[in-house]
Amino acid sequence: MVNELVVQGLSVRFTVPGARVAAVTDVSFAVAPGECLALVGESGCGKSVLAGALLGFLPGNAELAGAALLSSPDGPPLDLLATPDRVLATTVRGRRIGLVPQSPAAHLTPVRTARDQLEETVAALAPGERAPRARAEAVAARAGLAPADLDHYPHELSGGMAQRVATALALVGDPWLLIADEPTTGLDRALVEALVDELRRLVDDGRAVVMITHDLAAARRVADRIAVMYAGRLVEVGPTRDVLDAARHPYTRGLVDSLPDRGFTPIPGTPPLLTDLPPGCSFGPRCTRAVAACARRPALTGNAHLVACHRPW
Amino acid sequence: MVSAWAAEQVVAGYDRRHPVVDGIDITVRAGETVGLTGPSGCGKSTLARVLCLLHRPFAGTVRVDGRAVPGYRHRAPRELRTRIGVVFQQPRLSVDPRMTLRRTVAEPLRAARSPGVDARVEELADLVGLTPDLLDRRPHEVSDGQLQRACLARALALRPAYLVCDEMTTMLDASTTAALVAVIAAYQADTGAGILAISHDTTLLTRWADRISAVRG
Amino acid sequence: MAELTLDRRVAEAPAWRPAPRSRLGAGDAGRSPRLRLVASAAVLGVLVLAVLVVPLIVQLDQQVVDLAAANRPPGLAHPFGTDELGRDVLLRSIYGLRVSLAVGLLAAVVSTVVGTAVGALAGAVGGWTDRLLMRVVDAVASVPHLLLGIVIVAVLRPSLSAVVLSIALTHWLSSARIVRSEVLSLRGRPFVDAAVVGGSSRVRIMARHLLPNVAPQVLLTATLMVPHAIWHETALSFLGLGLPAHLASIGNMLNDASRSLLAGGWWMSLAPGLVFVVTTLAVAGLSGVWRDRLNPRRRSELSW
Repeated sequence: MVNELVVQGLSVRFTVPGARVAAVTDVSFAVAPGECLALVGESGCGKSVLAGALLGFLPGNAELAGAALLSSPDGPPLDLLATPDRVLATTVRGRRIGLVPQSPAAHLTPVRTARDQLEETVAALAPGERAPRARAEAVAARAGLAPADLDHYPHELSGGMAQRVATALALVGDPWLLIADEPTTGLDRALVEALVDELRRLVDDGRAVVMITHDLAAARRVADRIAVMYAGRLVEVGPTRDVLDAARHPYTRGLVDSLPDRGFTPIPGTPPLLTDLPPGCSFGPRCTRAVAACARRPALTGNAHLVACHRPW
Repeated sequence: MVSAWAAEQVVAGYDRRHPVVDGIDITVRAGETVGLTGPSGCGKSTLARVLCLLHRPFAGTVRVDGRAVPGYRHRAPRELRTRIGVVFQQPRLSVDPRMTLRRTVAEPLRAARSPGVDARVEELADLVGLTPDLLDRRPHEVSDGQLQRACLARALALRPAYLVCDEMTTMLDASTTAALVAVIAAYQADTGAGILAISHDTTLLTRWADRISAVRG
Repeated sequence: MAELTLDRRVAEAPAWRPAPRSRLGAGDAGRSPRLRLVASAAVLGVLVLAVLVVPLIVQLDQQVVDLAAANRPPGLAHPFGTDELGRDVLLRSIYGLRVSLAVGLLAAVVSTVVGTAVGALAGAVGGWTDRLLMRVVDAVASVPHLLLGIVIVAVLRPSLSAVVLSIALTHWLSSARIVRSEVLSLRGRPFVDAAVVGGSSRVRIMARHLLPNVAPQVLLTATLMVPHAIWHETALSFLGLGLPAHLASIGNMLNDASRSLLAGGWWMSLAPGLVFVVTTLAVAGLSGVWRDRLNPRRRSELSW
């Protein structure tokens, strides 16, 4: 038995007054140590909800279907979607799966220094630790922070530093899987590259990283595989170079083609509202290659490079 | 004489002893797109706010169409303020959470007591790619991309001669970025507006702007 | 291909189950908000109905004294007993609630309007106006508010309007502080900047953007002020400085009841006390639910 996360048919929906939001539908993928999977899609397509579902951070009106099996060398696999909150809090969060959240400044307690927060996390995750200060500094070093940087308050930290503190906090419990939710938002190019290279170092060290992002350039730089999400569904999954340079799904092609260093042409139309998904392929209304068969929803099929399309390349 | 929008020797910031912007000149002429880039904290946003007449500088002048601006924020005459349009980085904070998208886009038109508000709002929505059913939704019911489209529609409502896009695309995916830039380029071709595009993304600016200025940290 | 389609159709009907709730989760709107809403609304509805209808059905002449029926403990004829002047305690409590509610509502409205005006002005204009107004707030806050209330009533001579004014002038502070801090935080948001660039005047921004966004907090503060105002009136009446003694109000009744308590008349404070506590709880319950509904983002997370 090894460490692995296998997600099978995960679906999340919310019931709000007057509507049902199908945030995530039938998502399946697997992640193992030593690889980085980038989950790519536009804002509002359900990526962050997926992360929330895996860690048990969904609001009260959410419903789940499917399974997310977390295997480990000791013990039977754990279905994250069926595990009570208490078990997730004491055995999974921070210890087996770490979260590097979006906008770190908002996720750090403003009235305590970075060092305080790191040491508090050490105390929570490793209560028997006899040298919490040293451990905190070691973890911070792994995230690229010098001990002197830790004595600042969050508002005194620049965007890049705050992001590193958040990464360090995620690493305290030595989780094998890190989920990074839009880690590059608001950072300039140099900082994005530095952060992404750090994530790559973590992967090369033997961890797994799931990076949720809409930044294709960052994904190209760090990811081994890319999963493209559209309107809550996975439409294409495969090795990075293949997905970006030889995309099989029209949406992926359109997305790559809209980059400023490519065609810079937008995909016509707008994505459907998650409360109002079309019956067949969700991308159908915007697709230039749509045919009659597209009224039936395509399944994700393939070997190493999967695609959900009736007329893929 | 080509009309221009310029900041001359502007010194601005939030603490007089440590100004964030220290003696910067920048000019945007009608019909051109100027890119502005630089590391975080170098003062790009502060400079943008001064140029939009939102922030009074400690020293220096802002000229719109050659005329020096007499005051900032509410002290700037309305006709001058509305010659400029602005789109900010975070669409969620840039809209009033209680207003529907329709009202958000209509606000500048109503403030100026323009006739034909409803028709103009539909026209603007069509321009930026917002479908009519989205107009009656509230911000929490739409995605960031759709909100930013509404913000662009609002910025263009009064047909400004100059537009600032302050990290407009940072929170957007590639396709929405390309779509909004296309809308702005079309608007510029149509009206001869001058655009100031601020971004971290030098690849984007290289493709979009006619020339790029870099602010050092 | 055909078999795959069939399998797909089976797979299309997933087994939905509720997500494990995080204890610190963002969307937790309370254990059972629907129950709270229904219970609070029902209780308040009954009370308001009683307050409006009962005086029409059963006329109570507050001045009539029936010493033969005085000091009767709770029994069939008088479910909550009679007081020392022979008046039915329950009936008087209902009349008393009518007065207390009216006073409480009026005082809450006046204090909220004053507080909102001061807070909005201080927050929006800033500078010296803000500093001056906040020092006034601090000065008024430094005086124990019941003491200040007593002084105001004493100066104006005890009457209904004096009581209302006394409560209003001591309770506008919390609205002022809340509104000021909301306005300050809203002012810094880009949407206000966008309105400035869009040509909106200061007045327009205040009226169309700032005040509507502050409204939920203000309404909530006003609603929560009502039980407190009732309490304040109760305290004044208890001290003999509120409404005239023969006019039933919760405070007056509790004042009278306190004297009888020592003589063994335990039931006389029961009805007015219960009525007051139940009203307060119902108002607090409703206002909490109302606040959640008014917040647009929370509204999208609520599941009912």
